[in-house]
Amino acid sequence: MQTSNNQALTQLNTQASTQVSDSLLLPQVATATIELIINKALALNNNKLVSFSAINQKTLTLKLAELSFPLSFTVNSTASATGIIVRTHVESSDCTINTSIKTLKKLKAKQSLTLLIKQDELDVNGDIKLAQQFANIAQSLAIDWQSELARHLGDVPTHKLLHFGNKITKSVSAAGKKIEADIGEYLVHEKRLVVTTSQIASFNQQTKDIASQVDSLSERIDKLFSDIAEK
Amino acid sequence: MSSTDQNSQANDLSTSPQAPVDADTSVDNSAESKDTTHFGYKTIEKDDKISMVAGVFHSVAKQYDVMNDLMSFGIHRLWKRFTIDASGVRPGNKVLDLAGGTGDLTAKFSQLVGREGKVVLADINSSMLNVGRDKLRDKGLVQNIEYVQANAEYLPFEENTFDIVTIAFGLRNVTDKDKALRSIYSVLKPGGRLLVLEFSKPEHELLNKAYDFYSFNILPKMGELVAKDGESYQYLAESIRMHPDQETLKAMMENAGFEQTTFKNLTGGVVALHKGYKF
Ligand SMILES: C[S@@+](CC[C@H](N)C(=O)[O-])C[C@H]1O[C@@H](n2cnc3c(N)ncnc32)[C@H](O)[C@@H]1O
Repeated sequence: MQTSNNQALTQLNTQASTQVSDSLLLPQVATATIELIINKALALNNNKLVSFSAINQKTLTLKLAELSFPLSFTVNSTASATGIIVRTHVESSDCTINTSIKTLKKLKAKQSLTLLIKQDELDVNGDIKLAQQFANIAQSLAIDWQSELARHLGDVPTHKLLHFGNKITKSVSAAGKKIEADIGEYLVHEKRLVVTTSQIASFNQQTKDIASQVDSLSERIDKLFSDIAEK
Repeated sequence: MSSTDQNSQANDLSTSPQAPVDADTSVDNSAESKDTTHFGYKTIEKDDKISMVAGVFHSVAKQYDVMNDLMSFGIHRLWKRFTIDASGVRPGNKVLDLAGGTGDLTAKFSQLVGREGKVVLADINSSMLNVGRDKLRDKGLVQNIEYVQANAEYLPFEENTFDIVTIAFGLRNVTDKDKALRSIYSVLKPGGRLLVLEFSKPEHELLNKAYDFYSFNILPKMGELVAKDGESYQYLAESIRMHPDQETLKAMMENAGFEQTTFKNLTGGVVALHKGYKF
């Protein structure tokens, strides 16, 4: 019962933060920025790269443990130029990789894809050759993501939105985490696995609390928009 | 299909509609009557709306992209990205970017459908189409795009032609929206989907007020300063307010035959993306 309460809360909490980040279009801010960085690097490196024709129109999707939304990369290669389009939530992908940013860094340090797969750090669904080709491109582009992201997010007019959005998302999930922790505490201290009336009462109270926190968050969002509108 | 690609002097439908506007009653607005409709807050003869809207877009065409960035703080790019993400587009698809104007969505779709696919950029207004065509050519996007001057109410395509139809910030300018929705439904393939990106009703009262203030006080002034055309931007602000809200538009789509109709509020409901399928 408590576990399922916990699960329900976590779910609610994830839903709330996904809704907030969706409404503020955070995934689109991210894909726009990443797309800009990759295509700039591509334009600089074009001549050194492997041919793109074999993977033209192919889509690779990355599901990173640290990120709440997937990133999909599609190659568009024409006679005049090659570009990569970055999207989120695509419905069809030629290859999907489940991994983490930590593991991707190892890939950059030239550890082989197959080794990482063997070590269970990376899970590939679909055309593995495609994953290898994308990995090669990523390696030859050698983008310094940290400094590039910092630079570009400073430039785009949506910077503020992203910043506030992150704060809001964080406080929604912090509220959720606190409740999870509190429920965990009851389990430990009262050493009871059945739910008591007082626990239910307190759970209800906390649900009310989170509802009012969500209300005040939405007020803050209102204010944010009116601030932006006044500027 | 009358492509203006080869013939940039194509008939200007914006001043001579292909067929007479008929008298279907619209569900969205009680002030609509048999012969009159809205032009912003003004009630005008239906027959006049097309040419008045045309006047607005002929006059804003050149500065349209700059103004879009300014007016929305660049956020319109994110709304459009969200639309592409929701489109489920894949290589080989046939896409209609209706009221496509200067072709932002077309540019992305063209890259995603590839050589096997096709994107039709359709707009009623020749000035907007010309600006769009020049922009896309400059970007090197030529191989799979077709330009068609057409009125959304009378689409000049065969039934069951497209996998995806998008209409971004266009539906509110259309005189008979129900008719346009039915026309879109007919040109979609079974299994195809329509995406309507349009200004809508903000979810919170406070945001609504801030947004009103912005639209009626700041926006027309910006239009005056940058595009030397305050009146057109006053029209834009008014037309946004007269546009059906989220639930009303959803019902209109369902009336036209669309199924599994949903909408998603973006930026607090300032804009909504409606989605519906033809089965
Ligand atoms: C605000 S612009 C949007 C352009 C583009 N879709 C975008 O999002 O940037 C609206 C466009 O709708 C077009 N339009 C207005 N009435 C129309 C109609 N009845 N049929 C087709 N296009 C129409 C206008 O010419 C104009 O280009």
